Amino acid sequence: MKKVTAYTLSTCPWCRKTKQFFAERQIPFTFIDYDLSDEATQQEILLEVDAAGATGFPVVRIDDEVIAGYQPERYALALGLSGGIQ
Amino acid sequence: MNLQSRKNALRYFFTKVVEPMGFKFTPDADLVEFVLEQEVALQSKHGSPFCPCQPLRNERARDMQMVCPCIAFHRRQFDLMKRCWCGLFVHQGVVDPALLPQSLPREVGLE
Repeated sequence: MKKVTAYTLSTCPWCRKTKQFFAERQIPFTFIDYDLSDEATQQEILLEVDAAGATGFPVVRIDDEVIAGYQPERYALALGLSGGIQ
Repeated sequence: MNLQSRKNALRYFFTKVVEPMGFKFTPDADLVEFVLEQEVALQSKHGSPFCPCQPLRNERARDMQMVCPCIAFHRRQFDLMKRCWCGLFVHQGVVDPALLPQSLPREVGLE
């Protein structure tokens, strides 16, 4: 099973949709809310965000693939979900 | 000033700023209410209504470019996306914001 990590903000509506995407499909994932994290964790998250070239959150890592923004089609593709995002 | 009054004040101010740039509030009323509520909270905590979808970095010059509406600082990207990053604003011609991507392919070179 692929490892899914979502970097998110507690204030961001698209981050909520991202969490909902994985939760509704019962796909195990971990998430870290940037704004609720300590400074060291925030710096680590910023490295991921900047490396992804993302303007903001969410940023999702599925194994080695990093996806910037709420992109359910790409999440499904990266996870190999049959039936896409249905 | 209560929450609704503060949201109304932001809505009034933002409209004046984004309309001349060719943007409008998204027709997704639930999203507007949620984002404005987050911005009121961010304004209370940090002094300005920062974008609720971008990270504050404790770098003042950079952080101030995330004060809503941040369109002017990301103009090329948001024009291509036809929306801002958090989706509060869309191009004036947009009817269905659900059809718009939140981000652009990396090959576009703007992310």
